Amino acid sequence: MRDSALMRRPAVASEPVRCGDLLLEAPGGSILQLLGKAGATPPSDMSLPEVAGASPGLRNAGPGQWFVVTDRELTGPEIDALAARLAPSLHVVDQSSGRFRIRVSGAPSRRMLAKGVALDLHPERFPVGTATSTLVGQIGTNLARTGQDSFELLVLRGFAQSLWDDLLLMSREFG
Amino acid sequence: MASRVPCPHCGLRPKEEFTIKGAALPRPAPDAGEAAWIEYVYLRENPRGAYDEFWHHTSGCRRWLVVSRNTLTHDVYGARDVALGGETQP
Amino acid sequence: MSSYRLPSGGLVDRAASLAFTFDGKPMQGFAGDTLASALLANGQRLVGRSFKYHRPRGVLTAGAAEPNALVTIGTGGRTEPNTRATMQELYAGLEATSQNRWPSLAFDVGAVNGLLSPFLGAGFYYKTFMWPAGLWEKLYEPFIRKAAGLGRATYEADPDSYEKCWAHCDLLVVGAGVTGLAAALTAARSGARVIVADEHARAGGDLLSTTATLDGLAGPAYADAMLRELASHPEVQVLPRATVFGWYDGGVFGAVERVQKHVAAPDPRRPVERLWRIAARRAVLATGAEERPLVFGGNDIPGVMTAGAMRTYLNRHAVAPGRRAAVFTTNDSGYALAGDLERAGVEVAAVIDSRPDALAFPGLRARVIREAVVSDAHGGREIQAVDVWADGKRERIAVDSLAMAGGFNPVIALACQRGAKPRWSDAHGAFLAPDVDGLSLAGAAAGVTGLAACFESGVRQASAALSDLGFRPTPLATPVVEGDVVPAPAPPLWMIPGVKGKAFVDYQNDVHRADLDLAVREGYGHVELAKRYTTNGMATDQGKLSNVNAIGLLAKARGVSPGEVGTTTFRPFYTPVSFGALTGAHHGKHFQPVRKSPLHDWAARRGAVFVETGLWYRSSWFPRDGETTWRQSVDREVLNVRANVGLCDVSMLGKIEVCGPDAAEFLNRVYCNGFAKLPVGKARYGLMLREDGFIYDDGTTSRLAEDRYFMTTTTAYAAGVMTHLEFCAQALWPELDVRLASVTDQWAQMAVAGPKVREVLQRVVDEDLSNAAFPYLAARDVSLFGGRLRGRLFRISFSGELAYELAVPADYGESVADALMQAGEPFGIQPYGVEALGVLRIEKGHVTHNEINGTVVPADLGFARMVADKPDFVGKRMLSREALVAPGRPQLVGLVPLDPAASFRTGSHVLSKGAAATLENDQGYVTSTAFSPHVGSTIGLALVKNGASRHGEEVLVWNGLRNEMTTARLTSPVFVDPANEKLHA
Repeated sequence: MRDSALMRRPAVASEPVRCGDLLLEAPGGSILQLLGKAGATPPSDMSLPEVAGASPGLRNAGPGQWFVVTDRELTGPEIDALAARLAPSLHVVDQSSGRFRIRVSGAPSRRMLAKGVALDLHPERFPVGTATSTLVGQIGTNLARTGQDSFELLVLRGFAQSLWDDLLLMSREFG
Repeated sequence: MASRVPCPHCGLRPKEEFTIKGAALPRPAPDAGEAAWIEYVYLRENPRGAYDEFWHHTSGCRRWLVVSRNTLTHDVYGARDVALGGETQP
Repeated sequence: MSSYRLPSGGLVDRAASLAFTFDGKPMQGFAGDTLASALLANGQRLVGRSFKYHRPRGVLTAGAAEPNALVTIGTGGRTEPNTRATMQELYAGLEATSQNRWPSLAFDVGAVNGLLSPFLGAGFYYKTFMWPAGLWEKLYEPFIRKAAGLGRATYEADPDSYEKCWAHCDLLVVGAGVTGLAAALTAARSGARVIVADEHARAGGDLLSTTATLDGLAGPAYADAMLRELASHPEVQVLPRATVFGWYDGGVFGAVERVQKHVAAPDPRRPVERLWRIAARRAVLATGAEERPLVFGGNDIPGVMTAGAMRTYLNRHAVAPGRRAAVFTTNDSGYALAGDLERAGVEVAAVIDSRPDALAFPGLRARVIREAVVSDAHGGREIQAVDVWADGKRERIAVDSLAMAGGFNPVIALACQRGAKPRWSDAHGAFLAPDVDGLSLAGAAAGVTGLAACFESGVRQASAALSDLGFRPTPLATPVVEGDVVPAPAPPLWMIPGVKGKAFVDYQNDVHRADLDLAVREGYGHVELAKRYTTNGMATDQGKLSNVNAIGLLAKARGVSPGEVGTTTFRPFYTPVSFGALTGAHHGKHFQPVRKSPLHDWAARRGAVFVETGLWYRSSWFPRDGETTWRQSVDREVLNVRANVGLCDVSMLGKIEVCGPDAAEFLNRVYCNGFAKLPVGKARYGLMLREDGFIYDDGTTSRLAEDRYFMTTTTAYAAGVMTHLEFCAQALWPELDVRLASVTDQWAQMAVAGPKVREVLQRVVDEDLSNAAFPYLAARDVSLFGGRLRGRLFRISFSGELAYELAVPADYGESVADALMQAGEPFGIQPYGVEALGVLRIEKGHVTHNEINGTVVPADLGFARMVADKPDFVGKRMLSREALVAPGRPQLVGLVPLDPAASFRTGSHVLSKGAAATLENDQGYVTSTAFSPHVGSTIGLALVKNGASRHGEEVLVWNGLRNEMTTARLTSPVFVDPANEKLHA
């Protein structure tokens, strides 16, 4: 069994979907949750040199907590090195399988998301680089604005297919 | 009931994101008398007017807040993080 | 039936002819018509039968308040009853059907109700059919329901889609008439984010039906110019066909946009209706005013309509009301209509003005009768004449249409939905609403009359709201208005003398003046009582036209002012909203999210039968060829675990990482048993209590490092436990440094159980799994597949067998489960589902929420010794309450039938042998049952008074619902391996 084929099966097995100007993708990669003391300010060096090669993004996830997302799947030693440096002020929890990342881009992104998101997504109110946790319809997500017309959502793995299906429904009118 | 609650961490959020626990009462000391504990566990005011409650921002930052609201007018006066403070008004 | 369409004019597109049907009859209209205007143009004045008396009814208004012209639109799943013809845009192929008539609209048997009307008056529900009560269901109600009714809903599924949407703005403007457009444009030019919602297909309000000019432009052209400028502002959103139906707390408004209710075949990619939740920092209500009907006899005969409606049909839709009209007015607005009618070639037989001092209107040819009233209208399915009372004399005038101009009721419903009370203004002769909570009223909604004044009012209120928000307002200059008839407020005319026929107040509910008189006479004169006694204002139009007239009449009858009578309570919804819109996309497959285990597809591939557990889909059992009942599959799975080895998906157990320097102390306080001294690399069963002392949840928690624990919870309470831990960490003990992360979804977790499990697991796990190296309750990170994957292995057992739970990153769950099945093949491994899991745990006497049901404390389940002597933990203080330590508590026992062929059910009660089935004799109840292949009979767990000391006692198990009585014996709850030898093997 030691030589069994090990296949990573993401929660949603889908190629990118295009609905007119909208693009829905599942970029894969890794997701780490950083657990700090509530109320702590982010550590001074959040450039994450240990995983810099995977172009990490940092997402606010409530007081003292962040998600790190990378487009490339991190190796165990990379995660260990990061965890070792951040300890003890931050605990690192691998959520690469626990959360599923969805990228939404294209001009109608904001209009599409408004069908499920109560937040004001006006670029002045929710600027590029902002992330927060909120509901998309009935499903809790961490929502980040990664560009003027692009957003990323982190969702619990178990809800990923439902959210993906909901987003497709919300996108239908733009296709 | 408030439509939107001013979370000190997340801003105004719809009430669907929250879970309400009830009156924001302090927990008695472990060795407090039975009367104090009976009161804490079972007895609740049902005020007509201002009321402080524990609200959990379940679908947001997952912090416990003390939300001050008016049960009669449905006005929300403000909310603060139960541990971190940071009172915010709507 | 001749055409009433004028040869020219109006805002209809005569090049776009639209064919439609009414009660199957083909008709023609134009683009720009409403169904009502098209019906009138075709001479179809009779459009429905009234609710109670089945009186012929025609179109009364040209807007949202329409009480009469309710029709059913569409067929099949798209059938929409009770649609206001005045709000329905005409489209090619529209099929409209009249309602509440049988066998046909023209000849209706139910009209006999009119003869029964003495019995159907106010309070008839309460009086006529009070007795005998037994006849209600069989006779009265079916009769009344059949006779008095609205359209019928379809039983077919709605083929269309709906959605919800959030929107945010600085200023919401409700209504896009002259007031609303002026307000919106002021806000737009000031740089604010603006949403303008208007319930009609085309924005403009009265600008679309006036003959006045603004800065030399006709009303419609002026409205279009304003709309064009609004469209050029990127932060302005104009929502036509959108009714703002509710104002909720926190500045949130509800609106429904009819996106595709005006097309025959909706684009399936788009919703037919969209429910908006609009978060607005400020709002201006520019909702205009409803014209008040006048309460004279026969005021409901087809051909009678409000003057404003008649003017709209005439000027906007180019539809003449008839050949010879009369106008009954209490104010100057009736003259604007009279003038327009004459210009359109309709003879105006008379203007009947209730005022003694009405001014002469220049250019009007019609005879004006001053200080006069219409006491009765005559006619059957169409009006034929009116009786005019003047100077104490009655004069009958032949007409084929009659306009009522009874003054205006500002539309204030939204402003009053959150508790603000309208106040009566004698100066306006109307109820006005206060500006409250960031919402202000402007234009006709605030009692303002005339286009110029309304424009100014919109600019002023928008400017005030913008200043409030810190904007520097850019007010618009008021246009020069020419040709506008500005009615000065006139005293309302409530009680018309000389009335003989039924004078309707609430058209939709068939409440007439005499009903209100009766209510006052019988002591129901209070406005809220009168409403319920007469049903005035309780129809789907919510009394838009009738409430103020009813208040006026009650005031007259009681000899007080309308202000003293007051209004009834305003509530959402302003107009009816479809269930489809309220449901949005959340139906069918999208009704609620589904939560899928990472091993869902793996289980599905192996033929699992799934069961919904909360939002999860869990594999229940795995049928094999030849098995015809679920029990066969479950028995096989259970026996295979006991004999060989089985694999069960337990991924849906709640999993929480508890980290931080104070994690140990924190767990010590949330569990009633000790956790501080749990060694690293070990798992421990834990019990959490509620503050009232009862058990909340259980699970195993493992210490992975000094400052890091991995907690599992039951599936059902996973979310609740996480929230509870957060409460403990944040609210109870913020001084503890503890951090929590839900990792339920990160791990695919498999229970692998059975005597041969070690051989199977060892083929996948790199570490030595011998009993010495990985003993009972060991819990560690492990390496899998020669270092290619990391997982976590826990030597814990729910089944009572030698067992492990293996957790691997969820994305690799399927691969690992497949590898284990392959590795286990020589050992007879089989997957097992939650049904078998349930049997195995009952055989071992393990509890679940069947037993932890909110009424038990640790001692009841035999866990008394687990409760640690610690300074504090959740539930500690209340656990020592008298009742929770008193003798005679229910205690967990096992239960077997004396006859192995007999069985009993969960929920059955336990009685002492020979005792009668009474409450006093109740000894407890059965919490779990299963057929145990190991024991060879049904077995159960039960909570029985002093049960721990009654093992061996013969009892009765009684199911009162099914009248079943089984003799059984109380036993130890552990049916399998009581010495726990298997666990330690």
